[in-house]
Amino acid sequence: MFKGLLTTLKEWAGKPVTIQYPEEKRPVRTRFKGRHVLKRYENGLEKCIGCSLCAAACPADAIFVEAAENTDEERYSPGERYARVYEINMLRCIFCGFCEDACPTEAIVLGDNYELSFTDRHQSIYTKEMLLEPVPEGGKPTPQQTPPGVYVRAVPAMQDPQD
Amino acid sequence: MSQYILLRHREIPNLDQLDVYLKHGGFEALKKVVTQMQPADVVNEVKASGLRGRGGAGFPTGVKWSFLPNNIWPHYVVCNADESEPGTFKDREILESNPFQLLEGLMIASYAVQANVAYIYLRGEFWQIAHQLDEKIAELEKAGLLGDNLFGTAYSLRIYTHLGAGAYICGEETALLESLEGKLGQPRLRPPFPAVYGLYGKPTVVNNVETLANLPPILENGAQWYRRFGTEKSPGMKIFCLSGNVNRPGNYELPLGTTFRELIYTHGGGIPEGRKVKAILPAGASSAIIAVNDDTILDTPMDYESVAAIGSQLGSASVIVADETVNMAWLVARTVNFFKHESCGKCTPCREGTFWMNRIAQRMMAGKATESDVDLLETVANQIAGKCLCALGEFSVMAVQTGIGQFRVDFLNQVKQTAPATQGD
Amino acid sequence: MANEVTLTIDGKTVRVPQGTLIVDAAKKIGIDVPVFCYHPKMEPVGMCRMCLVEVGRPVMDRATNQPVLEADGTPRIAFGAKLETACTTPVSEGMVVITQNQKVASARREVLEFLLTSHPLDCPICDKGGECPLQNLTMGYGPAESRFLFEEKMHLAKHVPLGELIYLDRERCIQCARCVRFQKDLVDDPVIGFYQRGRSLEIVTYSEPGFDSYFSGNTTDICPVGALTTADFRFGARPWELKPVASICTHCPVGCNLTFNVRREAASGGKLVIKRAMPRQNELVNEIWICDKGRFAYHFVESPQRLTQPLVRKNGELVPASWEEALEAAAQGLKQAGENLVVLAGGRLSNEDLFNLRKLADAQRGKAILYTHMGGGDLTQQVGLTPGSNLGSLGKGDAVLVIAADLHEEAPIWWMRLKAAAERGAVLVVAGARPTRLERYAAKVMRYRYGEELNIIQSLMDGAVPELSQAENLVVFYGAEGLDLLGTNALAQACATLLYRSGHYGRPNNGLVGVWKEGNAQGAWDMGFHTVGNYTRTLSEAAAVLIAAADPAGDDPLLAQALDRAGFVVVQELFLTETARRADVVFPAQSFAEREGTFTSGERRVQRFYPVIYPVPDCRADFVITAQVARKLGHALEMASPAKVFLQIASEISHYQGLTYPRLAEVEEQWPPVGRSDLYYGGTAYDNRQGMGVALPALCQQQGWQLPMFWNDRLPERTFELAAMNQQGMVWLVPFNRLYDRGTTVKPSQLLEKRMVSAHIALHPETARAVGLSGVEKVQVEGLDGPLPLVLDETLPQGVAFYPRSAGVPALAPRGVKLHAVKAEVQEG
Repeated sequence: MFKGLLTTLKEWAGKPVTIQYPEEKRPVRTRFKGRHVLKRYENGLEKCIGCSLCAAACPADAIFVEAAENTDEERYSPGERYARVYEINMLRCIFCGFCEDACPTEAIVLGDNYELSFTDRHQSIYTKEMLLEPVPEGGKPTPQQTPPGVYVRAVPAMQDPQD
Repeated sequence: MSQYILLRHREIPNLDQLDVYLKHGGFEALKKVVTQMQPADVVNEVKASGLRGRGGAGFPTGVKWSFLPNNIWPHYVVCNADESEPGTFKDREILESNPFQLLEGLMIASYAVQANVAYIYLRGEFWQIAHQLDEKIAELEKAGLLGDNLFGTAYSLRIYTHLGAGAYICGEETALLESLEGKLGQPRLRPPFPAVYGLYGKPTVVNNVETLANLPPILENGAQWYRRFGTEKSPGMKIFCLSGNVNRPGNYELPLGTTFRELIYTHGGGIPEGRKVKAILPAGASSAIIAVNDDTILDTPMDYESVAAIGSQLGSASVIVADETVNMAWLVARTVNFFKHESCGKCTPCREGTFWMNRIAQRMMAGKATESDVDLLETVANQIAGKCLCALGEFSVMAVQTGIGQFRVDFLNQVKQTAPATQGD
Repeated sequence: MANEVTLTIDGKTVRVPQGTLIVDAAKKIGIDVPVFCYHPKMEPVGMCRMCLVEVGRPVMDRATNQPVLEADGTPRIAFGAKLETACTTPVSEGMVVITQNQKVASARREVLEFLLTSHPLDCPICDKGGECPLQNLTMGYGPAESRFLFEEKMHLAKHVPLGELIYLDRERCIQCARCVRFQKDLVDDPVIGFYQRGRSLEIVTYSEPGFDSYFSGNTTDICPVGALTTADFRFGARPWELKPVASICTHCPVGCNLTFNVRREAASGGKLVIKRAMPRQNELVNEIWICDKGRFAYHFVESPQRLTQPLVRKNGELVPASWEEALEAAAQGLKQAGENLVVLAGGRLSNEDLFNLRKLADAQRGKAILYTHMGGGDLTQQVGLTPGSNLGSLGKGDAVLVIAADLHEEAPIWWMRLKAAAERGAVLVVAGARPTRLERYAAKVMRYRYGEELNIIQSLMDGAVPELSQAENLVVFYGAEGLDLLGTNALAQACATLLYRSGHYGRPNNGLVGVWKEGNAQGAWDMGFHTVGNYTRTLSEAAAVLIAAADPAGDDPLLAQALDRAGFVVVQELFLTETARRADVVFPAQSFAEREGTFTSGERRVQRFYPVIYPVPDCRADFVITAQVARKLGHALEMASPAKVFLQIASEISHYQGLTYPRLAEVEEQWPPVGRSDLYYGGTAYDNRQGMGVALPALCQQQGWQLPMFWNDRLPERTFELAAMNQQGMVWLVPFNRLYDRGTTVKPSQLLEKRMVSAHIALHPETARAVGLSGVEKVQVEGLDGPLPLVLDETLPQGVAFYPRSAGVPALAPRGVKLHAVKAEVQEG
């Protein structure tokens, strides 16, 4: 019994492992699958080309995509096609990351944010505006007006995959 | 006795004038054929002479004529003057300087298959020659040697010239017929062959210029006379087009069976500065390259059988000679570029394959290729072979396969370069 | 059997008719040979080299002409040194075909590798992705990696509009020539072709407007990659997100089987939206094709102009009302009229709607009148096509007569099938007053002047074309060009007489077909509607008129006036048409896409259509509206479901006996296989799983039948005298049909706007000169408001003025008129 109490006292005196959330937050690991983010290129154009492969890959049928065509007067992504409507139902999502694997342009990624809550089922439908990341430094918000003859490829070339 | 039966203008000046041609026995053969012989007799005579198609295929001409069915009419004869094989320039000389012999031959062929309309299909670049031919045809009509009721018989014939528009593929007989009909110049499926289903769906004979030019001498002097030249299986005279690294490139009319050595050294004046022969392309760009590793190869007789026996083809006998200064990789790249440019695009392996081979070859020449690209080029060539719709695709790979197979060193050296290549090393 | 051949494919023995290609023989026993350029409905070209297989033939001893045998008695088989294309090689006795060995597998992989070298990486955004033969065959037979460098890929123009309906992506094109061959061989519209050669081979269009063909949409179905796509569907959705629903096209009497693809969308607030119309395979009706009108003109269903609320006239104005109020008002108005009720229905409605409307008319002892300018539907019931008929089986020994109809504009798929029949050897006789596109394939063209149509029929009865009167089978298509109601009645009667006298009735591939303007006019006749001699008088004398799916006021000012003189007007419509504006009560009806029902095609096949989208609130189906009004009048009409109405139809109408919805939904195996797992073979048309319909028997098949209307002596030579009319300075005003007009169901499809015909008057230059209109730019037609542009056309007959139907020229039927020049407006300052 004494030994047991000694263990308790030792622990009592030692450093606590408790993390005082929410004042302290533990950094997440590299491949943490949290809230989705729709990425942009450095110039501000969206990476998402509205191809619905993420929707097709999703095992929970959580993603809904409607596509539309880019014009040079109103350009959202560097290719021919962009996602006019992009919604993820967070209640359906199982955070498996298949959408991230399926995406051909590395547009949809699962980020680090895990602090999600909503009080209403309707609020759980995250729209494109909620998912798009903010415009990076030096970039312009979408839709953009672009000069003709620059963005002529159908699908923008993919960068090397990075973790 | 004259040494020429085809390039007779080299002995007889102004043979391209009708009066001169007539003075030297012109149209005697045609008169004999039309007034004294039955069409079937003409076919048999040509069969007996052993004349083989001079356009490259080497198919016995008389046998080809006999394939035409006698219950489908009309028959047509088309003269293939779309001479586009790199290194071939024999038909041009005949058309320019001895046109009446060609026309007479065309008329004999038409009589033999009982065609009343004949066409001469010339490559687009020969437009001046076509104008001249039109004038010669008009002259013949005015002289009563062409048109209705030739020589007082019931036989009538009209000849028309037609220009292509710069496509090598239109030398392929079914593509030629498509082009003649006004459609896209792409080869047709065979069977059915033109002898049964040709121009406008009627039985048609397509013969090369040189083949037709052989007919007047054969019909005038007889099949046995013709067989005195050449070899047993490849009788007759042939115009060999010599080009490349030789001192005297040009057309040489010699009997079939003449050796490479005789052509290159006796007639062609040998290689400049006495260099050694490295390779021979006996059929222009469409050949399996003959690597002259052993001097005795030059003693191979140039006839259809003997050249086939050493793994190549005689083809149209456009003999391109490459000497030891030639980088074979560069040469092969040139042929690949040619075929990519000339592919009609109908079938997948040739259309995509020649384009791919060209990309690889261009990279090699630009100094941006690696050793694995040499293997890749060979693999792609092997992938194209055996799958194409027509002979262009099949022949486009021969230079690549035999080139890499026999001169791999040149290719490996080429990929070690990082600067763009030239003809020599 | 004499003409059959036995061969072995992959060890399986198969017997097929002589002349069958290896690729088809393999398909018949379930062995898939991948193809790109081959299509079972076109001649093979052997271009893509994908179908290479190993072929061996029995070695024949040249001396004895007997097969050489091996030691064990089996024939010695010699395999070719090279692989052969299965699509160009017909089978031969004793042939051995191997499709599964190393050589063939390598060949397939290599051909695919070649195709993919320059094919762009567009799959994520390409509309074809998900239903793409190249994708599927690459998964099945292709390489996993490419050895071609990405930077060296050939770059060609993308997103090239071939006209405003079809987009071409030249990089995706694999040069299979299916589109070019379809246009040239199947529909004789060689408006696209190849340009350049080699790797630069690309598709271009030669016509202005681009890709000017009524069948251009079909090339997007047979294109094996996403090179040809429709502008209508561009980026609409991915194929796996779409739901297919079977339906029937309502634009013309062919009755093409459609599949609508729908999806629930956010943009529409969660409603089902039609994303595209695709063909559904029915080899007896439209094979695997639809014309561009059927493909692109469905937008009227979802138009924001649709009526959504009942309207009732109060104080001279139409105001929205509740259903109860509107039904009450309508019933009141009809009750007051008593027997003086006219029910006027158009041929756009389904059989169930028309049946209830006619029952209401009967119950009130009123008249059920079909709103049409074309008569003869009673005769097509008598001597129409019978079960077993198939235009696709017409060939040598058969004959077809087409008179007073321009099938290319009025029923393109019939035009296509009759052209094919003529090419198979059927004797095609085309009789018309002006040249039409079908004449190119006709064995005989008979030209007449308007008014002399019956003369043509008489001459045929007199044996003017023996190949026609003595043919094994004869089908007669009659139209209404240059004819009014009386004229078409007379023509139908004459054609029926021709068929009767020559014995061409009562058996398959014989009979009379009416080229109606509407999709279900035949059904309307079957349901008991009939025509009257004088529509104007009938309408103006009616105390109450119930109009459904018809717009008499918009079609003709005389009818508008008649309608104003009529008593109480109730209208069931989709849009607020001119007629609806004059009504006392307007009910918003559902379109065919919002419910199920049946249509009867011009060939007399009853076909089902299914609900595609949710009903537009607050519309109700026509048969329901009619039944609800009837209920208020004390009559019990069926309104629980269309299926139940149909059961009534089957019990009350003799030639519909025995038909039920389940029977109409029966399907059978069809050739060629299309769609889903076979889309590389036949294209992306949908396979038919929801019903092929049933052909109705003709009344002449009943015991002891006699043709009721019969010309015993000679037919009148002329129904009117064109020359006399011209001498009085008048011209015969003739409406002609164009496929893309501005009718209520076509106009909402803005995609077709540039191709829709505009109102104008067309004259032969001589005629213009004769009536003093040389050099005039605008004319006024006597009796019609508004100047119309004048167009001169030398191909038109003289003495006649033409105008396009449903393009804004308010004249319903041909009549004699005077034309006046309209002076150009003087420009102010």
